[in-house]
Amino acid sequence: MYIAGIGIIFNRGRGLASLEKALTEGWVNPNSAYRVPPEALTDKAVLKEARRADNFTKMAVLAAHDALADSGIPEEEKQKLGIILSTGFGPHVTTFSFLDDILTYGDAGVSPTLFSHSVHNAAASYIALNLKTRGPTLTMTQFADSFQQAIILAQAWLEEKRCAYVLVGSVDQCGKVMEYICSQKLKVAVDGKIKPFNFSKNPESVPAEGSAFFLVTNEAKYNKYCAISGRPFPGDKEEAELLILDSDGMCGDERPYGSAVENNVPLTAYAPVFGSLPGLSAFSTAAGALMLKNGKIYASPVQENPHGLNILTARQTLTVHKINCLRYNCYLEELVIRLRRGAR
Amino acid sequence: MPGTNVAISGLGAISACGNDLTETLQNFSAQKRNASKVTLFESSLDYPVFEVKNFIPLDPSAMRTLNLTFAAARQAVNAAGLGSGFGNLRVGICLGTTVASQLNDTDFYRQYRDKGSAPMDSVERYLKSNLSKALAQFLKISKINLCTTIVNACSSGTDAIGVGLSWLRNDYCDLVIAGGADELNRVPLDGFGSLSVVSKDLCAPFDRERKGLNLGEGAGIIILEKESVCRSRGLTPELFLKGYGLAADAYHLTAPRPDGSGLEQALGQALKEAGIKPQEIAFINAHGTATKDNDLVEGRTISRVFGTKCVFLSTKGYTGHTLGAAGGLEAVFTCLGLREGWVPANAGFSNPDPEIGIAPAKEKTQIMGNYALSTSLAFGGNNSALIFEKN
Amino acid sequence: MAENKEEQLKAIRKKLKELLVSHLSLEDVVPEKIKDDEILFGEGLGLDSLDAVEIVVLLQRNFGLEVKDMSQGRKIFYSVDTLANYIYDNQKK
Repeated sequence: MYIAGIGIIFNRGRGLASLEKALTEGWVNPNSAYRVPPEALTDKAVLKEARRADNFTKMAVLAAHDALADSGIPEEEKQKLGIILSTGFGPHVTTFSFLDDILTYGDAGVSPTLFSHSVHNAAASYIALNLKTRGPTLTMTQFADSFQQAIILAQAWLEEKRCAYVLVGSVDQCGKVMEYICSQKLKVAVDGKIKPFNFSKNPESVPAEGSAFFLVTNEAKYNKYCAISGRPFPGDKEEAELLILDSDGMCGDERPYGSAVENNVPLTAYAPVFGSLPGLSAFSTAAGALMLKNGKIYASPVQENPHGLNILTARQTLTVHKINCLRYNCYLEELVIRLRRGAR
Repeated sequence: MPGTNVAISGLGAISACGNDLTETLQNFSAQKRNASKVTLFESSLDYPVFEVKNFIPLDPSAMRTLNLTFAAARQAVNAAGLGSGFGNLRVGICLGTTVASQLNDTDFYRQYRDKGSAPMDSVERYLKSNLSKALAQFLKISKINLCTTIVNACSSGTDAIGVGLSWLRNDYCDLVIAGGADELNRVPLDGFGSLSVVSKDLCAPFDRERKGLNLGEGAGIIILEKESVCRSRGLTPELFLKGYGLAADAYHLTAPRPDGSGLEQALGQALKEAGIKPQEIAFINAHGTATKDNDLVEGRTISRVFGTKCVFLSTKGYTGHTLGAAGGLEAVFTCLGLREGWVPANAGFSNPDPEIGIAPAKEKTQIMGNYALSTSLAFGGNNSALIFEKN
Repeated sequence: MAENKEEQLKAIRKKLKELLVSHLSLEDVVPEKIKDDEILFGEGLGLDSLDAVEIVVLLQRNFGLEVKDMSQGRKIFYSVDTLANYIYDNQKK
């Protein structure tokens, strides 16, 4: 299947121009967490039916809206659209607000609005409502695997013609409680800098939030970026020409990345731009797709290179057609998103 | 791919209606409704709930939702003749839930709120509670092919089975363990209470005087496999999953679209995939939560699509609304109906509602025909439907 | 006495309008612009079923009132006027 449109909202803003700018500028100290700036969430035209929505939902609605708009799919095709939203932790900020209600007002004094927005699938429902699409709409969660699983299901839906287009994406929020949990459970980088090429047993992370959505389809005429797959492309035995490593310190032991990067293959990693979050691979996929579309590469934002690897620098020139985004989850299972330029 | 027949080789269920299939059928037959006050946690609310009783967790350190899942999965896996392992089969696991996906431990949050710090045990437990992954580990499936947890609110279990169907049709797996599970929990009890949709009496699905739902808990698991795989294991499959439909209302976060067109679209898709006409459906296991809105929209839509004479019922009078488990449990109950040749009475129903216009099964009913349907309607306007066949 | 009642109702209406706007996230609505007899649900202010149950919480938290039967709610929740009258009649004096 092909990527026909991309929508993204992250700590450096909303939209592809922000993405391109961030990838060009490289790492900027996020100060404790990579949070989406509040002004990026105030688009009243897009969020007009979302007065009650929390920021989790707003991020997802904006990214999904932008991905569809970027694709140029004709309006009348919208009813052939499915939605698959993936999330690592769901709208936990709203869940904690609801727990606040229980603790403050008791079992019988809680807010029904908070409750109905604490459900994982509220955001996907808002996307359907916002785009007025009535196709299959599904939310899934699998911690660090969530986006990869969502991509595989999108492929299945397109293959069996359950829909002709799928808006598939990832969203996660970083509230105060989550930041506290990260400080307890993970080793947070005191200098705010994720070091993706250290391949440490106990790596450093910086918690993040954001949403990235993709309009995918099997219709080659809408291919605006590249082909994408969560499974091996048939007959595609060649190695990727560029590996994006999603070593962000979220999943513990990162030593497996070390054994996966033999053969001096060029490497990059954008966790220092996006931060550490379960759906990081969605953001890396956006970066990879942009590189394939623009025919240019973006230097790795962090260059610390203790293992002497072939890390993308700003001076390097490289023509790339095949990118793999590589992620190891907390069970050290390998997850790969494959991006290929040209017809598939 | 469209020619892939998907067989059902094992069923497992645990709910207030029974800790296994035999007990479930006995309670269906006797119209037994095992509701009580909440005993699992402190609550100032006095709604009746359907808790699973006399239940010994297989892993006492794991959260209750996981243990309910393990119990139902063990039944289904054994029934499918896979008790000693899965061999070289490419196995997928796709389960639906609501509670297991949420970090909603009140004690953890109280401590964090009061002191700005809290012990991490409940976070650890949450991080070990990805339902599908936890089941893969419990069943010691070291190399799982696909593993996903569906969080589509009250249709999660139905959608998880639908996803399993997609995986098999696309040949991503040979066999999928699918279904749903949820434990009774304070957050949804308070939340549904605040929405004014919980009844202080036993629920009365499709009844004119219905006053809302009762919450319940449980797990329902089915083993789906490609028919060819099932036969190569020496089994002769009797039940099949024939179609799945999923459609969004794009209407409102908590209210169903009044004209039922979202549900109708999901039903149409499921019928199309099954390649059958509405009149071939022998019975419908409806979502039937016993809320004013759900039963009105669902009942009218069923009447419109399947006619006023169709056999339908809600089993929530026996289990309560088990949220993420509901689709899994009701898929199992639908398969049981086809296999046993009868469906139970719609517990709690006595007065037809003229606004709905059709009435559910008033008593234990023999069914004629080979196809049956199970529906789920969820928060956010998700409508899902599965069609099963008995050979 | 009657004047006192009218004064109190006026104060309740003012507070109600502010609470409705903040509690129901009515982003672009100015409390003073809500008319006393404006229909709250459907047309008029355009509130929906989720707002209705949220108003129950609002009444509970701010006025100590329980609306136990939602079917009774329809009449009470018709407008700011009807809501204010309900609060005036039922609030513990």
